[in-house]
Amino acid sequence: MSEQMIATAIEARRASRHYAMGENQVRAVDDVSFTIPAGEFAALLGPSGSGKSTLLNLLAGLDRLTSGGLSVDGHELGAMDSEALARYRRHTVGMIFQSFNLVPAMTLADNVELPLRFAEAPRAGRSERVMELLHSVGLEKRAQHKPSELSGGEQQRAAIARALVNRPRVLLADEPTGNLDTRNGQEVMTLLSELNANTGVTILMVTHDPALASRYARQQLHMADGRLIPNVEGAR
Amino acid sequence: MKRQDLFELAGRNMRNARLRNALTILGIAVGVASLVATCSLGIGLQNFANRQLMRSGMFQTVFVTSRQDVRNMDENAETKPDEQPQITGETRARIAALPGVEEVAPEVRATAEVVYNGQPQFTLLAGLPQSARDEDSVEKVQGRFFSGPNADEVLLQRDFAKKLESDPANVIGKSVTIRYAERQSGEAEGSFSIERHEKAFVIVGLLDEQPFGGMRMISRARVFLPTATAEQMNLMQPADTQQLVRSTPGQKTYSMLTVRMKSAAYAEQVEDAVKKMNFSAYSYLDAARSMRRFFAVLDMFLFLFGSLALVVASLAIVNTLVMAVLERRREIGIMKAVGASDRDVQRLFFAEAATMGLIGGLLGVALGWFIGRAINFGGNVYLSHTMHLPKENLWSVPVWLGLAAVVFAVAVSVLAGLYPAARAARLDPVQSLRYE
Ligand SMILES: Nc1ncnc2c1ncn2[C@@H]1O[C@H](COP(=O)(O)OP(=O)(O)OP(=O)(O)O)[C@@H](O)[C@H]1O
Ligand SMILES: [Mg+2]
Repeated sequence: MSEQMIATAIEARRASRHYAMGENQVRAVDDVSFTIPAGEFAALLGPSGSGKSTLLNLLAGLDRLTSGGLSVDGHELGAMDSEALARYRRHTVGMIFQSFNLVPAMTLADNVELPLRFAEAPRAGRSERVMELLHSVGLEKRAQHKPSELSGGEQQRAAIARALVNRPRVLLADEPTGNLDTRNGQEVMTLLSELNANTGVTILMVTHDPALASRYARQQLHMADGRLIPNVEGAR
Repeated sequence: MKRQDLFELAGRNMRNARLRNALTILGIAVGVASLVATCSLGIGLQNFANRQLMRSGMFQTVFVTSRQDVRNMDENAETKPDEQPQITGETRARIAALPGVEEVAPEVRATAEVVYNGQPQFTLLAGLPQSARDEDSVEKVQGRFFSGPNADEVLLQRDFAKKLESDPANVIGKSVTIRYAERQSGEAEGSFSIERHEKAFVIVGLLDEQPFGGMRMISRARVFLPTATAEQMNLMQPADTQQLVRSTPGQKTYSMLTVRMKSAAYAEQVEDAVKKMNFSAYSYLDAARSMRRFFAVLDMFLFLFGSLALVVASLAIVNTLVMAVLERRREIGIMKAVGASDRDVQRLFFAEAATMGLIGGLLGVALGWFIGRAINFGGNVYLSHTMHLPKENLWSVPVWLGLAAVVFAVAVSVLAGLYPAARAARLDPVQSLRYE
């Protein structure tokens, strides 16, 4: 039982996120249950509006469940107050977005340093850590550039460096290649799968592209209308 | 988040909206400057008034009378007449021994004939105690003060000297003869006789103003001699008849003693001690108290008017920060996504508000200092050219005022940041990250 827990990176138990829209209720995520083992590279697929981003935001500790349970790396998200969730976001998960979400006024180095500031990492050794991360994504020469001076692929690689700087156990990626051309998308995907293979970080990636999912992910989750579609090929 | 990181981020954010933040800071600076200028004027005026009054010697003086005296100030005192002691030499010694007392002098006033160059003038004499030396009016004496407490020297009122010489300064160094009535103990008990005497004096100086030697100086003496000298002369005084009727025979009594303290700080203490001896005591301290009350009210109004500008400036802070929250919605979402707590975001906005308050406060104190200088300069030009008065420091920025103004500016700024910071902290990261 306890070994099972440790081996499980993400577990959803009848997780739901509903929005009240006047009289109606939008069931963005509706009664979803699944598990993703530690070290897995999983893909979350589904049409637009099916609730993929909502589920990812729940897992990232940015949003709160309406009902059900979510646990990530042993943390029960439903039981945490907002301070605990902030700590969880600092240390347990890293998140990357379709639109990169780098702070435009900051250099790449400052962007990558940002999570270290919130994590109250000791100031000594910070810039080494930042350069180490930028080096691992091939951007050490661009450390002092602003995001607007970089290509989309470079920006996304910088965002990956930022997501990893606090050594998270789980990486959540919301359509990381959605704004990139094929070549840049390939580069980012290669980077993610190398990270998964080399560091054992669990990756859950949202994508529209079934080809991408089958090529890189070993586990696939399919959503439609907020629900998980069972027994699709690859789902466990 | 560590404080250093907090202020680094705050500083970076403020540099990104340089013009807007600079204008806000300028607003705070003007507000603080107006506060500093008005408060420093209030403090300066108060100091000025204090200096004037202290120099007059008023507050260093306590008047002691017997409760039997007709001038008795508490007529309704519950003590019976036989419990009300006379002021004797022994009383005088006891009061002189009180802490802080510099000199105890009786009031000596008598009418006399002053003969100068063979010309007699009938006038009023008064004793001037040694301690009057430090008084403002006596300090400005033309010539000099008495060489000692028993000197046979006199000071003249300038107007009186004008009657003796066309140039009053010429009387200094000349001698003058005073014809006066000396009181002598009578043969019968409880009686005295009066004899005419003459005594020669040297005129050593001229006084312009009336020295504050005693309570009834208002009745304008023209010739002043050392109190001790005057006492030895046994001048017949108006109060003598009154004393004759009541005093214990054979004992010298005083109708009033003027007690001079080393500083005004002792006045209250001495007054209390004298009242415990069952004598009446009066000082101008009560007047000083109401003056202090007046200045407290004045300062409060000046402070209120001064802070008004700062209140307006604080609205500018609210505006600037609310704008910043709207503008940086997405950035706040990003910060939360990478681990910022609600509190971190709140503190970041507080740090920006406090930084603006600090810079604005420091600039404002400097600005206020210059404005105050200008007011002081203008005021002195008015004083010297229009009123022909000496220069005065009407304005003062004590260190505590500068510090308090900066602290106040920071406090007001943080207060103004309360709402924007709370708004930023409440921002839903999912919402703020949703749209491009
Ligand atoms: N704050 C909200 N209030 C009301 N409805 C919402 C809110 N946020 C999301 N929804 C709804 O929830 C559903 C799921 O949205 P979500 O963004 O998770 O979809 P998605 O699968 O990520 O779509 P896409 O592929 O286009 O990104 C949508 O119908 C959306 O309109
Ligand atoms: Mg989405």
